[in-house]
Amino acid sequence: MSTESLKYLNPESQTDLKTKVFPRPGQNTTGVINWLTTIDHKKIGVMYGMAALFFLILGGVEALLIRSQLWNHNMDILSNREYNQMFTMHGTTMVFLVIMPLSAAFFNFIMPLQIGARDVAFPRINTLSLWCFIAGGLILNLSWICTGGSPAIGWFGYAPLTDTRFAEVLGDMGPDFWIFSLQILGLASLLASFNFITTIINMRAPGMTMMRLPVFTWMTLIVSFLIILAFPAITIALVELMFDRTYGTNFYDFLEGGKPHLWQHLFWIFGHPEVYILILPAMGIISEIIPVFSRKPLFGYGLIIFSGAIIGFMGFAVWSHHMFTTGMGIVATSAFSILTMLIAIPTGVKIFNWIGTMWGGRIRFDTPMLFALGFITMFMVGGFTGIMHSSVPIDAQHQDSYFVVAHFHYVLIGGALFGLFAGFYFWLPKLTGKILSEKLGKFVFTLMFLGFNLTFFPMHYLGMIGQPRRTHSYNEGHGFETWNQIATVGAFILGVGIAVGVYQFVTAAFNKKLKPAGKNPWDARTLEWTLSSPVKEYNFARTPIIKSRDQAWENNYGDKDKHSEKEPLGDHGVHMPDRSWCPLISGIGLFVFVLGMLFRKTIEVSDNFLATPYEVAIGGCSVFILGIIMWSLEGPGGYHLFPKENEE
Amino acid sequence: MSEAAAHAIDHHEPETSTGIPNKKVLMWAFLGSDCMFFGTLISTHLIYRKISATVGGNFLDIREIFDIELTSFSTFILLASSLFMALAVSAIHKGNLTSTRWMLFGTIVFGAIFLGCQVYEFTHFVHAAGNELTLSSYRGEPHVFGSTFYVLTGTHGTHVAIGVFWLIGWLIYSFTGKMSTADAMDIECCGLYWHFVDIVWILIFPVVYLMEYAF
Amino acid sequence: MKILFNKLQAISIAILPAFILFLGGCSRVDHKQSALDPKGIVSQNQYDIFMLSVWITIFLFCAVGGCLLYVLWKYRAKSAQEAMEVPPQSHGNSVIEVSLIIASTIILVILAIPTLQGVVLMNRVPDPNDTQTLEKLDLNRSAIDGAITVNVTGKRFFWVFEYPQYGIVTANELIFPTSRAVRINLRTEDVIHSFWLPKLAGKMDLMPGQENFLWFIANQEKILLGKDANGKEVKYSIDDAMPPVFNGKMRERIFAKQKFTDEFEAVGGLFYGQCAEFCGNSHAYMSFRALAQTDEDFNSWVKSFQNAQNPNLQPSAYNSENEYSKGSLVTFSDKSLGESATREFRAITEVAQGEAPNLSKKVWTQANSDDFEQGKKLFSSLQCVQCHAINRTGLGSKGPNLTLFGIRTSLAAGWMRNDKKNLTKWLKNSNEVKFGNLMWNGEGVDDNHPLRNLEDEDQKVKQLVTYLLGLK
Repeated sequence: MSTESLKYLNPESQTDLKTKVFPRPGQNTTGVINWLTTIDHKKIGVMYGMAALFFLILGGVEALLIRSQLWNHNMDILSNREYNQMFTMHGTTMVFLVIMPLSAAFFNFIMPLQIGARDVAFPRINTLSLWCFIAGGLILNLSWICTGGSPAIGWFGYAPLTDTRFAEVLGDMGPDFWIFSLQILGLASLLASFNFITTIINMRAPGMTMMRLPVFTWMTLIVSFLIILAFPAITIALVELMFDRTYGTNFYDFLEGGKPHLWQHLFWIFGHPEVYILILPAMGIISEIIPVFSRKPLFGYGLIIFSGAIIGFMGFAVWSHHMFTTGMGIVATSAFSILTMLIAIPTGVKIFNWIGTMWGGRIRFDTPMLFALGFITMFMVGGFTGIMHSSVPIDAQHQDSYFVVAHFHYVLIGGALFGLFAGFYFWLPKLTGKILSEKLGKFVFTLMFLGFNLTFFPMHYLGMIGQPRRTHSYNEGHGFETWNQIATVGAFILGVGIAVGVYQFVTAAFNKKLKPAGKNPWDARTLEWTLSSPVKEYNFARTPIIKSRDQAWENNYGDKDKHSEKEPLGDHGVHMPDRSWCPLISGIGLFVFVLGMLFRKTIEVSDNFLATPYEVAIGGCSVFILGIIMWSLEGPGGYHLFPKENEE
Repeated sequence: MSEAAAHAIDHHEPETSTGIPNKKVLMWAFLGSDCMFFGTLISTHLIYRKISATVGGNFLDIREIFDIELTSFSTFILLASSLFMALAVSAIHKGNLTSTRWMLFGTIVFGAIFLGCQVYEFTHFVHAAGNELTLSSYRGEPHVFGSTFYVLTGTHGTHVAIGVFWLIGWLIYSFTGKMSTADAMDIECCGLYWHFVDIVWILIFPVVYLMEYAF
Repeated sequence: MKILFNKLQAISIAILPAFILFLGGCSRVDHKQSALDPKGIVSQNQYDIFMLSVWITIFLFCAVGGCLLYVLWKYRAKSAQEAMEVPPQSHGNSVIEVSLIIASTIILVILAIPTLQGVVLMNRVPDPNDTQTLEKLDLNRSAIDGAITVNVTGKRFFWVFEYPQYGIVTANELIFPTSRAVRINLRTEDVIHSFWLPKLAGKMDLMPGQENFLWFIANQEKILLGKDANGKEVKYSIDDAMPPVFNGKMRERIFAKQKFTDEFEAVGGLFYGQCAEFCGNSHAYMSFRALAQTDEDFNSWVKSFQNAQNPNLQPSAYNSENEYSKGSLVTFSDKSLGESATREFRAITEVAQGEAPNLSKKVWTQANSDDFEQGKKLFSSLQCVQCHAINRTGLGSKGPNLTLFGIRTSLAAGWMRNDKKNLTKWLKNSNEVKFGNLMWNGEGVDDNHPLRNLEDEDQKVKQLVTYLLGLK
């Protein structure tokens, strides 16, 4: 089933293809080329996951350096500029290069399986979005070796600190790298989201109505809508900032009439939905796991989805609660305060429903379930402190203190990362075909849970007794030392836990000691568990006809009339599209283009240089356009597979 | 498992769950996102249009520099191009290749005229003696109007330019002889994009130009 | 089994006291910069709402968490066989769901009402005619009527405090009377900063191109109520908690009372504040102090500042033709200080017209020691004046105003105690103390700048220190 175009090649034109420069690699491609040119959603998901895990380790090392620096007062492990770079990079990495792509990895891998599709709607766009993400990650981290080093502006880069006027190193390029990497990462997210929206709306198997979609797929859909509506705001904000830095416009230059307030509004109009972009996928994962390990359907399925949608929608109406202390006036602060409190209700609904799901079930405590329970408790703490911040007078003390640091780590590690780890333990058997070691998994959970709470719980107190965030050092005589030391110890425990977990995931495919998983190791409920593990490249040999919400469960335990059926296999079998070089070429073109744009003024062109930055940019852009043209002309190609009845 | 080489059978576009082709859904999603792009830019402009760096005064009378006749003309041209685009889509659905080709050509020409007007306008504004509106100043005084004006209309112009190149692509393709009603879907997507860009201009024209004469 | 139990017991006996001691240590929450120890009306209000939210959330956490624990315990699969059972597949219960939604809405309303009241309180000084509100807040009308205004300007990386009612400027130490409301207008000259004074006012950002507002009024009763070294509540006298700043008593008291490194502040009238919005390399070093004063002491402080900064009190070279009122400043040339050097004197009695210069102690007091006068010269010749203003002299507003520097309690925007040792260290190499500070790294400062070459100039540094600390 290809969806790319309705024009299929006849055998004659396929011979033409061989004369092309970059023919689409066919069925028997193996090795590196297979991975570089793949358009299979499962492989793309794996690559997303691997890259994100790498960045998780990188961002984690940055976090540990930050914690080491705060071990005691007046430490000098890092200079203050290095520290400022470290927290900027840590924040940017964790948000854009870890949590979002990890979610994207699950979207890619799981979502098409859950709706009964053979791939996403636009497989090559999917690949392009992967390469854009990797290019963005590379660009962000290339900043370490350029003038001024990495950006030292904080992950929300408040204007006018990003203005060249206030650069603390001559010709500081850090903010430029930050701007361009966020732009290209935004492009990756947008492309992926268009794709997921189309896939979920259009490629559901027969009988898979919207109200039969698994919750995770629903959350994918909501998050994709959030992304396409929220990212434009930051893209424009960054374009304006880029113009300010490069071409002397006055968008954020207060001396010439610009308003730094505008940056904050534009950033948080993106930034608050972003928070839900980070947490909703994890909530979706949890909503899949808890029913499985309670052996009960989700309590209040409709309400959970509705509350997810409400959270997403209201996420656009509460952004200014990040700006309570910027002097917006009584009316605005009050209104945003009330709206922020309201958003706690749909969030609470989810927690009630998860508990309701477990009520009356048969609860097993396997690793995914442990992480899910960790998620619920930690997210509760983070949510409650969030309610505190929604009150303006309280926020007047909490804003920019360690209390806020504690709050968002409870939501993003205790929430998002725990949820994603739960997802790893839950779905990796589907990917590798082997069951992960429960013992090691529980060990990882213990370390992470302990380390996490040890790190971040004391920060609530630290914030209340006056430690501001983003300070590379604190003075003696404030009583911060003890609690910071506890936090640092906790951070290292958490770090070890995450490292062991990542090791476990990465080696899962090669570890020969692990037991085979079979189709449905957890006795799980949704459609992907009717497939073999690992999943065949065509996913479904025959398109299933869905009869109920928890199809895998109903097939095992349900009435006969709720069992899924299968569409007949046509005489031309399963059409598989060929792999393609074009997304990679376009991605490389984009990468080179951005590099050319970056080096606009700081690299002095000497005789040793082969090309000026402008030429590099134009060259990169040409490669990108060439890639797109080849893309549109290469046609679907493809081959047919004839799997047997039960081979799926 | 039995595998076989690719062979041509009467493939058909797979049925989608909603009955709407995938590409169209993608295009609509993109346009929704693009709305937010322009929404952000337009609101930036609205916030800034009356702000001046000089304390106490809005000394900017942009009417002195705007050439509203020219802009009205180019607005009309862009709207007219939408008609051609609609006719092109209708023609390709009917399989009338010649008509499609001419209509595409008309759209391209009108799009190009619009771009030309914009380029003329920009150069004129920047070089208007004594009245220069540049990215960062107006009459040599720091100002934000130029920033928002050029970035907003420039982004729109870039959209038109991309549309023109896309249409040129189709025009060239129409001469290869491969074009058929099977491409109707793709041209329709192109048309969606073109109409959207027009509609955005219908919003920009009053907000950026006419409003200066009203408020 | 028993051995294990004994072991556990032994461990817990060993750990428990340590744990209790530890908790005891944390039972004091009145750290120097603690928001948990409010000393003013606004911060008290913020604290009250915070505690309300804490109790609400603790209740919710116990309720929901307890429910979760109960469910986990009750419905756990007790055996492998039970884990394979199929429980009834219920899909939800709308009555329970709706009632939970209504319950959570009610809880939020409980928090929303004080929040809205708090927003108004934070942003508006109560109307002096609104007796009802004043009564509720337990405020005197005079406190509002006599409110003082302070214009705070944030700069990288220090604070300027300007008192427009009195025409005086100081830096990094905010002096305020406890009996009156303090209105604070916040501005910035460069990037965004945030004015955070936890014990008095919470925080508000300093936005470029915009003026923000914050106000507070300290509660003298609470300032006097402190804790001693053992954590016992003590009521201090005004002399103990808020000694006068203008004559240096406050500085002496703070220095005498405790070490800088002590965790808790012994002098109740001293408050710690901090920039809370990331503003660049040295953001962490951008703190400040606020010193509470009685009305009388505050007025004296204002007076001494007005004297120091009054442009009409400029010293002039002595001219025997003029008459001099008591207290006027005059300069005489003094060869012992160097070529064409002058020394400043102050008349202690009236000097009639035509009276010969009389340098006897009767009529003129010699203002200061040689070191002081030398330091004063150095302050100009080493280009300090380009950025720092002292009294009425000096061009610059780039650096903190150093008027009456000798009565300041802290140095380098509150980073260290203002004494001889620290000031010497600071002058010799400020970059070592506060990396990235703009005195060392600012515009126009390079390796040739005299400021960067004071490392081995002990004599000069000593003279500068004498001068700066002698400004009283």
